[in-house]
Amino acid sequence: MQSELKAAFVGVTASVLVLALTFGFAAFLRSSPAAEANRNLVSSTRSAASILTLSSQAQQGRNLFERNCAHCHGEDARGDEGPTLHHLALSDARIARRIKEGVKGEMPRFGSKLDDAHIAELIAYLRTLRD
Amino acid sequence: MHGGTTHFPIALVMASVVFDLAALVVPESVDKSRRSNLRAAGFYSLSLGALSTFAAVISGLVLSHGELWGRGNLARHHAFLWPGFGLVIALAVWRLAVGNRASSRAFKMYLGVSVLTGAIMGAAGYWGGELLLNG
Repeated sequence: MQSELKAAFVGVTASVLVLALTFGFAAFLRSSPAAEANRNLVSSTRSAASILTLSSQAQQGRNLFERNCAHCHGEDARGDEGPTLHHLALSDARIARRIKEGVKGEMPRFGSKLDDAHIAELIAYLRTLRD
Repeated sequence: MHGGTTHFPIALVMASVVFDLAALVVPESVDKSRRSNLRAAGFYSLSLGALSTFAAVISGLVLSHGELWGRGNLARHHAFLWPGFGLVIALAVWRLAVGNRASSRAFKMYLGVSVLTGAIMGAAGYWGGELLLNG
């Protein structure tokens, strides 16, 4: 049993080491010039938006955006895995349909998660993205 | 790339658990080599699963720009992912270090932890799928 305990200690040590290296790699990625530029853009966009004083509906929409959309469209909605959402030329009805039904192979559907009121709030926020 | 690479560690770790459980259940009197073959299959599945976690984790970190936690479904995904990743590495190293010398009691304890690890990996995969499908 002693060799098994020693092996367990080695296993745990290896695991801690690998996790530490992984978190170090993540820190490196976060400090990369591209990530830094993305964060600066996000903070400047946010301060510009706060100056404009979003309506309460658009503010709710922004909260929804951050929880549901930001990880694909970027924190600043300028695109990441998904396209930029600034200066959208689509009508409100088209946007609502895209959010509800998704885009096959590209974007998941949110129809079961977001009701019409939430989608209207999201659209209100997206309409503020004009810089 | 992350979507493709993640399925290897999940499937291989679960396969390892299945092989090891089968090795425990197969009566030794029936076929002596079957038990050792099943254990070997469990070992190699776990080893490959552990190696493949690196590709999945690195591609995931690149995709999320180094985000370790996040919000909503991403946070739930990470809540299971990091413990699962740590456990897979620990289990693989333990198995490599012990080889065939593990006592029956130690192997049963290992099996308990590997079943838990398989479940955690499955949960990480589930929330990853929720993130993809529902945002």
